[in-house]
Amino acid sequence: MKDRILQTLANLRKYALEKGYVISLLYHEEDSALMRFANSAISLNTSEHLVRLSITAYSGRKQASYDLITDLAKLDEMKKGIDTVAEMVEHAMPLTYDPTIPAYAETFVDESNFDAGLTGMSNEEKLAFYNKSVEGLETEDLKLSGIFNCGVNTIAAIATPSEHTLYFTTTDAQITTVLAHATEKWEISSGGSAQRKTDLDPAPIHQDLSFLLERFQTEPRQQLPTGTYDIVFGATAIGQMVGFMNWIGISGGMWKRGFSFMSEEKVGQKVFSDKFTLVDDPTRRETFPFQRDLMGMVRKPFPLFTQGVFEGFTWTQDDADEFDAKPTGHTVLHRSLVLDGGNRDVASLQDLVGMPRENDLLYIPYLHYMNIVNPSKGVITASSRFGALLLKQNGSVVVPFNVRITQSLLDIFGDKVAWMSKQTVPHNSSASYGARNPTAVIVPAFMRVNGLEISHSNPSF
Amino acid sequence: MRDQIKQQIERIKGMGATYVDCRWYPFEETNSLLMWNGNLKDASASRESGLGIRVLYKGAWGFAASSDMSDIAAVFDKAFDNARSAAERVTFPVRLAEKDAIQAVFTSPCKVNPFEVPLADKVAFLKAMDEKLNQKGVEQRTADLTFMRKQIVFLDSEGSEIEKLITEVFGGLRVSGRDEQGMSHERKFRLNQRGNSRGWESIDAGFFSQNAERIVKEMNETRAAEPCPKEDRSVILLPGIMYLQTHETIGHALELDRILGYELAFAGGSFVTLKDFGTLRYGSEKLTARADATLTNSPGSFGYDDDGVPAQDNLLIDKGILVGAITGRQMVEEANAKARKQIFDGSSGANRATTFYRVPIERMTNINIDPGTDGTLEDIVRNTERGIVMDGDKSWSIGSNREQFHFATEVAWLVEDGRMTKMVKNPTYKGDTVKFWNSLSAVGDRSTWEVRYVDNCGKGQPNQIMQLGHGIPVCRFDNVRIGE
Repeated sequence: MKDRILQTLANLRKYALEKGYVISLLYHEEDSALMRFANSAISLNTSEHLVRLSITAYSGRKQASYDLITDLAKLDEMKKGIDTVAEMVEHAMPLTYDPTIPAYAETFVDESNFDAGLTGMSNEEKLAFYNKSVEGLETEDLKLSGIFNCGVNTIAAIATPSEHTLYFTTTDAQITTVLAHATEKWEISSGGSAQRKTDLDPAPIHQDLSFLLERFQTEPRQQLPTGTYDIVFGATAIGQMVGFMNWIGISGGMWKRGFSFMSEEKVGQKVFSDKFTLVDDPTRRETFPFQRDLMGMVRKPFPLFTQGVFEGFTWTQDDADEFDAKPTGHTVLHRSLVLDGGNRDVASLQDLVGMPRENDLLYIPYLHYMNIVNPSKGVITASSRFGALLLKQNGSVVVPFNVRITQSLLDIFGDKVAWMSKQTVPHNSSASYGARNPTAVIVPAFMRVNGLEISHSNPSF
Repeated sequence: MRDQIKQQIERIKGMGATYVDCRWYPFEETNSLLMWNGNLKDASASRESGLGIRVLYKGAWGFAASSDMSDIAAVFDKAFDNARSAAERVTFPVRLAEKDAIQAVFTSPCKVNPFEVPLADKVAFLKAMDEKLNQKGVEQRTADLTFMRKQIVFLDSEGSEIEKLITEVFGGLRVSGRDEQGMSHERKFRLNQRGNSRGWESIDAGFFSQNAERIVKEMNETRAAEPCPKEDRSVILLPGIMYLQTHETIGHALELDRILGYELAFAGGSFVTLKDFGTLRYGSEKLTARADATLTNSPGSFGYDDDGVPAQDNLLIDKGILVGAITGRQMVEEANAKARKQIFDGSSGANRATTFYRVPIERMTNINIDPGTDGTLEDIVRNTERGIVMDGDKSWSIGSNREQFHFATEVAWLVEDGRMTKMVKNPTYKGDTVKFWNSLSAVGDRSTWEVRYVDNCGKGQPNQIMQLGHGIPVCRFDNVRIGE
């Protein structure tokens, strides 16, 4: 298939050159399957095979793009798409800067993230994995929800300035399991991320759910008073906040457009806790990485924050062109963010709950519906979900109703950070809007932050 | 193609499926343009075609989709196989509410096909708007246009054959600038219902220009304003935020799939239970809300849903009491069975998919609030002792069961003794859904009522973006916490 894809792109490039066009082509093919569970049944079982071709045409400072959902047999349709965008670009308006056209210096093929075992999993195997994850936990009142989302993603690129190509193929799986009480409306959750079939292990999911379930079924429930708490965030919550950091904290383009709480003056300054070291690391296969960006730049580990010190912004090619900056190899569909672990040996929820503690700790595993209240200050807001616990100083556990936090990322990752787990885990943050784009961040299993405010507290589940 | 699809539907029926449908998209095209600080950052178009197949087998759904039309039998087979696998884990076998077999055509109102307008004209429009926005105090300015047009052919094993041609037009303007402390403030304008059609004719340069001047002025005034106080006040929501309040805390909360727990893996549930229909006082007596897919000229009006059920106008909340939900054929059957009574009298025709490669789920149509009797905005302000007028969505976050929320708005004006006094910056408000709607103390009349479009409502797994509308008046809520 790889040869057929690359040959098709070569044919399309030849066609464009013959017509005198300047274009770049981005090919995207996905084979996606999603088994969705709800009310303890498979509520949906889907398969989608889609081929997309994105064509960008350039004419001096003008550019335009045209996207097709097509298939490899439709060469004429693709050529027509090239003609269409070539006509469009003549009517576009010149940019105020010179856009850089991809000119690959060498061909790069990366199939190292493809796993035949994962892509070959049958419906029966997926169901068996899922059944194992929740074995013995479902009841008449406790209903299972979740997804087993997996697929193969292939990306290839070519442009008229060079005959060289880029080619990436990746397998991925994202697993979410939720047990929800049908009448009391509480929910607990666990999940996993896989790049290979051997990454899949139902045991930790079962262990997490069993432990949480016992707490939720036996411990007292409580509406927490609003106010200040020492909070331990779970990996999913940490991953979600790092994801927002990726959006409004480290992008040079977002800063230049006034949608960031970071600035050039902060480069080289200590912004966060000295426990906070964040790297974009494309060597980590768990993040479904790109070792070249879509301009062909070699991607290597790129430090963003080292012990709290801001190392500098990332720049996509287009932002770099517009704002006269140097591109940093970040013209990618997603980054490979890794937040280093700390020095506390807390690998599991059982470890956390079993730890001696000098005061009460609020454990928040997941943040629901996070949004940005004030980008200039990095203020986000979200509610807890999926199994929050109040770990009392005396060793007992209380199940709190969901709470809301409205805080700045500068505070959450700042000097209030007390510790982070030594152990790190991949948090699968893939969304299935539009084209498949498997994404994961690697974060500590737990992070404790002292003195954060709870601004709202639900009176019930 | 239709004959081939019909043959495949019959073939899969013959293999034991209880229901089969196919949505064939001969084409779906989009055209997006974005001008940012004078640069045409996006001039893109797309064209797609393909088909999506749903198969119901032994009470379980299977779905498959493909853009490859060369072997449609294989797509039908894949959907059937998926259903057969899903049937291994069934707890409540899917049943579909009765409906009529319908042969129909629906075309959304559009006078000038935007895909026949030259790109140069669209770029010239954006350039003119960009120049209007390029004023003192404005650091970032954008003008955007998005056009969509799709043909959908729906065929099912019950004899329905429905063809739809839907055209959508979205557009808007946005400015932002920083205050003396370096904090960024923004103000937007989005194109909403204008007249009875939404083709290129709704792109009215004069109307956009008026709004360009207004948002620049309001953004600059906000930059100079004092911070929003942290206290309890009466909150008067203008349509630019009232639509989102309605969307998030009535619309999503009343999607029947959420109520029944079908979205717990991702989007969340609802605080509403089946016992609440007919009894729950959702809001004050001033609140009457409806799902009206028959409204003229809105993305939430689509003729027939993707179950093949005709668009309808249904009450959701009647004088404060919860009476209805947003439903499709599957969920009403399950809800009635689980409630052991007839809550829903058939599908409300709200099962929609964003495109051929996504499966239909309960989606909002036009979730509207009826105009009230409390007069104009000026009347409501005049009758407010200590309040705040808010407009423009900036940030929104809602609890997983839609039970509580936190919103930030772009602009706000304090109200003291019946007068709007001064603007404040970084306004926010929060509340608990039922308590909040029960504090509804004034509903504006028809002069305050507008239909706002939503072009980016997300839901479902695989994720789907849907377009819809909200007809909403100006509303006032009492004792609301602001400024957090």
